[in-house]
Amino acid sequence: MIPTILLTSLLIFWAMDLTGGDPVQTILPENATVEQQEALRESMGLNRPFFIRYFDYMLGIVTGDMGTSYVTKLDVFDTFMHRLPMTLALGGTALLISVIISIPLGIWTALNQNTWKDTLGMVLALFGVSMPNFWLGLMLMLLFSLQLHWLPSGGSGGIQYLVLPAMTVGLGLAALITRTTRSAMLDVIRQDYITTAKAKGASHHRVIYTHALRNAMIPIVTAVGMQFSLVMTGSALAETVFSWPGIGLLIVNSISKRDTPMVTGSIILCCILMALINLLTDIIYAYCDPRIKAQYSSKG
Amino acid sequence: MENKMENSHEITSAELKQAKGRSLAQETWRRMLKNKGAVIGMIFMILLIIVALLAEFIYNYDTDIVAQSASSSFSAPSAAHIFGTDQFGRDIFARVLYGARYSLLIGCGSVAFGLLVGLLLGSLAGFYGGFIDNLVMRANDILYAIPNILIAVVIVSLLGTTPLSLLLALSISAASSFARIARAAVMQIRGQEYIESAYAMGLPTWKVILRHIIPNCLSPIIVQVTLAIGSNIIAASSLSFLGVGVAPPMPEWGAMLSDSRQYIRSAPWMCIFPGLAIVVTVLALNLMGDGLRDALDPKLKK
Amino acid sequence: MSDNILEIKDLVVHYETDDGCVNAVNGLSFSIGRKKTLGLVGETGAGKTTTALSILNLVPDPPGKIKSGSILLDGRDVLQMTDKELEEMRGNDVAMIFQDPMTALNPVMTVGDQIAESIELHQHVSSKEAFEKAKEMLKMVGIAESRAYDYPHQFSGGMRQRVVIAIALTCKPKLLLSDEPTTALDVTIQAQVLELMKELIRSQQMSMLLITHDLGVVAETCDDVAVMYAGKIVEIGTADEVFNHTLHPYTEGLFNSLPNLRERGEELIPIKGLMPDPMNLPEGCAFAPRCPYATEACEKTQPELTLMGGTHCVACLAYRDAQFSLRRNHNG
Repeated sequence: MIPTILLTSLLIFWAMDLTGGDPVQTILPENATVEQQEALRESMGLNRPFFIRYFDYMLGIVTGDMGTSYVTKLDVFDTFMHRLPMTLALGGTALLISVIISIPLGIWTALNQNTWKDTLGMVLALFGVSMPNFWLGLMLMLLFSLQLHWLPSGGSGGIQYLVLPAMTVGLGLAALITRTTRSAMLDVIRQDYITTAKAKGASHHRVIYTHALRNAMIPIVTAVGMQFSLVMTGSALAETVFSWPGIGLLIVNSISKRDTPMVTGSIILCCILMALINLLTDIIYAYCDPRIKAQYSSKG
Repeated sequence: MENKMENSHEITSAELKQAKGRSLAQETWRRMLKNKGAVIGMIFMILLIIVALLAEFIYNYDTDIVAQSASSSFSAPSAAHIFGTDQFGRDIFARVLYGARYSLLIGCGSVAFGLLVGLLLGSLAGFYGGFIDNLVMRANDILYAIPNILIAVVIVSLLGTTPLSLLLALSISAASSFARIARAAVMQIRGQEYIESAYAMGLPTWKVILRHIIPNCLSPIIVQVTLAIGSNIIAASSLSFLGVGVAPPMPEWGAMLSDSRQYIRSAPWMCIFPGLAIVVTVLALNLMGDGLRDALDPKLKK
Repeated sequence: MSDNILEIKDLVVHYETDDGCVNAVNGLSFSIGRKKTLGLVGETGAGKTTTALSILNLVPDPPGKIKSGSILLDGRDVLQMTDKELEEMRGNDVAMIFQDPMTALNPVMTVGDQIAESIELHQHVSSKEAFEKAKEMLKMVGIAESRAYDYPHQFSGGMRQRVVIAIALTCKPKLLLSDEPTTALDVTIQAQVLELMKELIRSQQMSMLLITHDLGVVAETCDDVAVMYAGKIVEIGTADEVFNHTLHPYTEGLFNSLPNLRERGEELIPIKGLMPDPMNLPEGCAFAPRCPYATEACEKTQPELTLMGGTHCVACLAYRDAQFSLRRNHNG
């Protein structure tokens, strides 16, 4: 994991370095002389070789110093960390909403395969995955905020502000997980060990939950884990639509304001966050599948 | 009695011949046609492609798509303007139809490009293993670690907000997923016994690859192509919406939505129709992709 | 109380698929006596597994449907039971051993838990006690008790089959259904597992329905034999009757196709032709197209099982002629 993060951050740092524009221009007033610019550049260490600057920058991550924003003049790392909990709250709530909807729905459609119930569930799920989630956000805003006036159309400050953004991300995710759950359950209920369980006299409920679902969780967790970057993207879009002050909105605003240090820092920190989440997914996956757990325990 | 034996023998072999007559492609096509959803999806996509091609001739870019007319601005949907007009009086229906070009171009283009690169690298990695495999997999891991959108942000920052840079950015993530699939398929097939038999028969490596390995990889790849086009269209419009993709006044669907956001209270139709276009297009592609998946899978989930 | 633990009468089971209706079982009748073992012999596709699943009323529905018939288990008709009654019966009065041990066990549950589950479902004991009993069952099938905490993937095929046997026998069922229990195993392991089964059945005084296509296994373990073809029983009797006084031409064909150790170098004699397509069964006797003794009457009328002496029944029109006998029986 660490080498991947290092390589990734190197690439991003290099790319942003190329595009970044000249920080000196933004900091000094317009009428600054060339000597003043050069002096500032020297003192900021901008003339040093690329790799030294990169190394310095990476060290900065460990100490929590990733530069200051061009725009707000605030510390990049602090700003990111300050906004992170908002995005985590959004992502977490969205995940919760989606799991509560999708797993029962996926099981229901799998058990009623090829009936109207299956078709209904599948059509809904298909719409869900075909919808760009920022449009879903706009439509939800249109309905619940502007037409019905049940919920606010943006900002933060209480649970009611979290509902629409979380629904926006959560419904799209739910559509995806429903399809995966259905597919995984269909695979699992055809297995021989399900017949064995029934032949023991296990009740229908027990067969589905204790036997089938526990095995279906393995591909479901894998699929959700793979799609987690989608959750991050979705959160960024939802934050933009509803002005939810998380890191997604931070990055989008920084891009439009050409705030290079903020963009660079945020992207790299995002990647580290993604890597940690992937690690978490792997751990959950190992917990679900004893065959994998055995591999880890024999190594450790 | 001997006669009877021969008769039954003949019937059996004739029936076998008839059954084998259909090749895999024909069989798949036949099964696709049985799937109503997939057929609807295909018809829609064909219509959309025709519209996209003809749009250049039906509408003149300067007069119909970007020309502004203050008098007819903010008209709700009516007979004259089926989808209404936007803040500059431009006909939204015309812009939506014209916008199909961008979505199809970027969607199909990025997938095509990604397919070429990804297929090549993935197959090589899967087939030869060792150093090449490590290299490709490490590159893939890096791309995996960075969310789609952020890759696009970086590339678009480097190359500017044009359709081409968006296409390039999305090709990279497409290539990554195709490489993954190709590698997995090749590795799985490479280990099968019929490949060993092919070698045992004396077939040279390139023939083994061409005749045995590639045809058997095709199913997951074909399915992924249709689904990838759909998800890239969504990604492209999302990026344009965020201001990191195609910029206005080009009538790309995501860009149109980014523009019309501020008018959602006064002119909601501006936000509804471009998004609906995305939904319907991607829905059609997903129906096709699902239909292909079911048709190609011999053990249909019935 | 009847002498028979199991009585199947005129069972008809169809699978209704998109491509057509598969007539898997077409009027099947046989009985198994208490503490007796019946071997059900037939080729793949004859309907044997469907029969076993029907006894537990576990035929997958859709697409399978039990169309008619009755299955009396210890006097009660399985096909009329409610879901609750079925759940009580399965694993408790009747248990089943499946063909493929590699896929018959749940990969995410320990072996001990899977055996204990059977106990917890039917007996009122705490889960701790159930697990202890599970360990005893493992010992009974020749596996170390400590392995109760292991997962199925940590066992070999033969050992997994023993676990499956342990699960089946835990609640001391009266009838054991074994569907090709040793087919998926190595030959050396086959013998071990069969020995184990014979011993357990004897000590638990169970009846068994042994489904197999291996005549050798039948000869070794079964009291009675039933031969199945295209969804019907064509011959049934004690092992001695069927092996030594064979009546049905199909059974004769099966014996003839066995390689003879004494006459090595001789060509094998298969039965000509293929089993009929279960979606398209012939009007008359299903075996007629392949039968060396077939007459015109055979193609039009379906033969019924008729008693030919002792407990030996056969379904063959040839026996309307009292003088008829198979070539095999001529040579003695």
